[in-house]
Formats: sequence, structure tokens, C-alpha cells
Amino acid sequence: MGFCLALSAVSASAPTTAAEPWNIPHEKQVVLKGRVTDALCHLKGRCASDCGGGKRQLGLVLADGAFRLVAKSNIDFAGAIADLIGYCGREIEADGLLIENPAVTLFFVQGIRTDASAPFTPAERFKTEWEARHGKAQEWWRADPEANRLIAEDGPLGIKGLAPKPRP
Amino acid sequence: MTKILQRGVLWLVTLLAVAALVPNHGLAQEGRRVTVTGEISDTWCSISGLMFAKGTAHHQCAIWCALGGIPVSIRDASGALYLVLKIGDDEDSAANPRVAKMATHEVVVEGELLERDGVKYLLVDRIADDKGVILMTHDEHGIQPFGN
Repeated sequence: MGFCLALSAVSASAPTTAAEPWNIPHEKQVVLKGRVTDALCHLKGRCASDCGGGKRQLGLVLADGAFRLVAKSNIDFAGAIADLIGYCGREIEADGLLIENPAVTLFFVQGIRTDASAPFTPAERFKTEWEARHGKAQEWWRADPEANRLIAEDGPLGIKGLAPKPRP
Repeated sequence: MTKILQRGVLWLVTLLAVAALVPNHGLAQEGRRVTVTGEISDTWCSISGLMFAKGTAHHQCAIWCALGGIPVSIRDASGALYLVLKIGDDEDSAANPRVAKMATHEVVVEGELLERDGVKYLLVDRIADDKGVILMTHDEHGIQPFGN
């Protein structure tokens, strides 16, 4: 009985992670529990009522006061703002990879939930929202009008007139 | 005495009500003034090790990541990453086309540095110099990450 109580206490405080490892240096599979806020608000007190409306970097304030910036979602080349912004000011559980690189500590979220007994919802909202604006695309990044505008202006190498060598 | 006590309670209640209305933020801190020189890049590619993430080879990829909302950093010569939260009055730090256009540019910026929980956050006041893309890496590394 005592063992069962102890076990349930452990699982309540440390939810099981289902995050997929990516073999990134310094990665650790974790579930973070914290309140969603925007970085500028948390660090400087410059707050917007809606966490910046999707235009600011977001993170989680954990119970111990640590702030974990959530930098990446399950979608290639995309952050997690679309997944988090709907939870501004609310507590969530985020399953993913905490990467404590000496250069920077980031969290790569793979799933989100607000109910500890529910499964994690994949952090893939960026693609859903992108497709609602632009239509279906196999690779959003190659179909993104803004990206294509910038690449057309300065070239794929970032220097006007400089082209990559033709591939053999 | 009772009136003083009532007034004190009223003040406390008012204070708590005001605090509840203000968006909850953490320990707002004063940073220190810095000048940072380095390459603007996306933070994810810089640390993931999934690809070569410097210079011309990485320019296109850095644009994609910046527009995808991945945080943008300035990487200095020592490899330190300074995560950019604002530039001047522009506080849009996610998917900002103005910032994406500077992908892989070598810049000198002045601003405020806040170090917190393993991240160097940079609030850029001024871009003192923008040299454009100067690190030529595409001959050796192609266009990252797919070669086109």
C-alpha cells in the first residue's frame, strides 16, 4: 500500500514522457509543467495581454521559477508559437526534449496537454494554420510566399547575383 | 485603530486586485549593456547539429526557420548564442520578415543582455553595422540542408 502511494506520488510529479529522441547533443526527454508566457514579458515585465498575439517568443515558467524557452515544434523549420499561444497565461504540460547546450538551453516540444490524464496533442499546429492561409503543401517552407520573396530578392546564398554551382 | 486596520485591509485588497489584472510576469531584471558582433542565424540549427549552420550555405534554411518562428540568435566568434527578443522598437521576435531578411548577415549590435536559465537574451537597441552575408561556405557545404 505504502509502495503504491509512493509510486502514484512519483508519477503525479513526473509525468511519463513519450517524446521521440533526436540524438541531439545534450538532449533529455522530459515533460515540463508550467505557465505559458512570452519571454519579453517574463524577463522585462513588458507584457501584452495576449502574450504578443503570436509575434513574440514564448516559454514556460516552471514551479521552481525557471523559464524554459520553447523553440521548436514537431513541424520542420517551425517553432511552437502556434501550439502555445492559445494557452497564454495557463498551465500546461509539454512533452519534448530539453536541450541544455552550453551555448543555449532550449525546449523542443512534441506534445501538449492541459489535463494530466489525457494524451498529449502533437505540437503540429503551425502546419494546420499555415495550410489554412496558403493551402496544402508537401513542404511548407518551399511554398511560403514570404520566404520565396526574400530568397528571390537576395538569392539562396544571401548575396545578390551569387548563384550556387550547378550540381554535377 | 479599527479604521486604520480597515484602511490597511482595503489597501491590501486593492493591491491584490491590481496585481491580478496585470499580466503575470517574472522577476523583471536589469541587464547589462553589451556590443555583440556575430552572424544572425536560427537557434535550432545552430545547436541541433543536424546540418552545417553557417554562412552562405545556410542562408536559405535560416530564412525558413526565422519565418517558421524559431528564435533567431546572433552567434559570436566564440560560438556563444545571443537570442534576439527585439530590435529597436520592433518587439516581434517570432516570424518577423525584417529579421529573416538578415539571415546569416554579419552584424554588430548594441543592446541589453539578460542571462537567465541557460539563455543569453539580447534586447537589441541598435544595429551599428550590417555587413551582409560574408562567410562563404556554399562551395564546401552546398545549400543546407537538402542541397537545393
